[in-house]
Amino acid sequence: MDKLASLLHMTPAIFWMVVKVVIVFSAIMLLASVWTWVERRGSAMIQDRIGPNRAAIFGKIRIIGLAQLLADGIKFFFKEDLVPEDANKGLFWLAPFLAFVPALIGFAVIPFGRSFESGGVTYYLSVLDPGNGMGLLYPMAIGGMAVYGVLLAAWSSNNKWSILGGMRASAAMVSYEIGMSLAVVTIFMTTGGYDPAEVIKTQGHLPWAWNIVRQPIGFIVFFTCMFAETNRLPFDFAEGESEIVAGFNTEYGSMKFSLLALAEYSHLMTASALVATLYFGGWQVPFVQNPTVMLSVASFLLKMLFFAWVFVWIRWTLPRFRYDQLMHLGWKVMLPLSMANLVFHAWRMSQGH
Amino acid sequence: MFITFALITLLGALGMLLQKNVIVAGLCMVATFFGVAGLFLLLANPVAAALQVIVYTGAIMVLVLFVIMMLNSHEEEKAQSTRPIQRWVSVVLLVLLAIGAVKLVMSSPGVKSLAASGAAMPQAMTLQKLGTALFADHLLGFEVAGLLLLAAMIGAVALTKRNL
Repeated sequence: MDKLASLLHMTPAIFWMVVKVVIVFSAIMLLASVWTWVERRGSAMIQDRIGPNRAAIFGKIRIIGLAQLLADGIKFFFKEDLVPEDANKGLFWLAPFLAFVPALIGFAVIPFGRSFESGGVTYYLSVLDPGNGMGLLYPMAIGGMAVYGVLLAAWSSNNKWSILGGMRASAAMVSYEIGMSLAVVTIFMTTGGYDPAEVIKTQGHLPWAWNIVRQPIGFIVFFTCMFAETNRLPFDFAEGESEIVAGFNTEYGSMKFSLLALAEYSHLMTASALVATLYFGGWQVPFVQNPTVMLSVASFLLKMLFFAWVFVWIRWTLPRFRYDQLMHLGWKVMLPLSMANLVFHAWRMSQGH
Repeated sequence: MFITFALITLLGALGMLLQKNVIVAGLCMVATFFGVAGLFLLLANPVAAALQVIVYTGAIMVLVLFVIMMLNSHEEEKAQSTRPIQRWVSVVLLVLLAIGAVKLVMSSPGVKSLAASGAAMPQAMTLQKLGTALFADHLLGFEVAGLLLLAAMIGAVALTKRNL
């Protein structure tokens, strides 16, 4: 690695940083685009249909329909890029990026594998090394920024359906953030630290010591809030075909729409990674004390993709809530639950457990 | 780095003042908050930076923009006729405020310790340290602030819901 770095006129530290950034962000973008296909195949499976399996490269290579991604990409790039007449042009352009960037960089702090030593230097498998001082506050801060993409896309379209969708979505996101934060604070408290590396380390390799067993209520609250945060189906108030067309992205087409869709799936990946880190031991492999680096990365990926699949699964299983039901659930069920969770664990800690 | 963040902060603030469109002005304010968060990071206080982004940009500004959108004021409102004296008063007050702020900063112990050579580098703030600072050193202030916020919350509920 040092040789390669010197060939590129970089110090090994910077080279490693660049490698990590490229790996993580390209992996998330790739997974996000694959997940647009998984979503369609999954929905087809659940609804007893076939789903997209026809697209083929050169009319021959089908790879169970994965070529659909390529076809979609080409289609999005060559579609006409429409901007509505009365839209606020600058913000209309800016909004997809404001949605996409936070969804992507929220992942930066999450360790996706165990650290390893090479030549006396410890290499951490997370874009931001542990001890950066931001810890898990960082994905929460970035997650809060995701609202702006939706809000701006909605407002700049200058369309009443868009604005309605954007307002419903942003209200839901802001309301559920509180319950989510309290669930995460409980984890900070029992861990005694707020760095994801610490959270993973204290959970250990035994599945019954993971936070899912120790704080099942926290997990339920956090996972539910993640659905609202990512605007996924039981709570996807950004859209609503029967009421407000496609909601905040009604006016969007071509690559801008594609960016908004990719943002949703990147957000979903980050959310599943957070769930895996906080409640399922991150990269820890069950019953293996010191897994190899590859094994730990595989374990993390497996957990993350499982939760990403759960997101898809639930989307096609549960119907959409009504708006007042969503607010009722967020403020009167999730928030008190996570508060009770917090107080209960504080009490347990004070009793010396 | 400092110049970048300072420029983001100042340009955001200027943009917010000069921009006629309320939503764009709000976004400029978000940029300012980000600049300030970056400055906090440079001051070895990542916790304050994260909280700045979570609380101000992630919650407060979203709600402000939300209300603006709900009122849906697409039209730019004309300013009411201004009296020239208002400008002069504002300039005088601004200068006074600036002088006071600069004096306050220059006389703070932090700046003095910068001048002393060989001063220890400040340790980065962590959430644990913030907790001890709030609950041990500034307990009274913290509790009073909490009480104030609670009062404000109850007041808001009482104002909006006349018949509970």
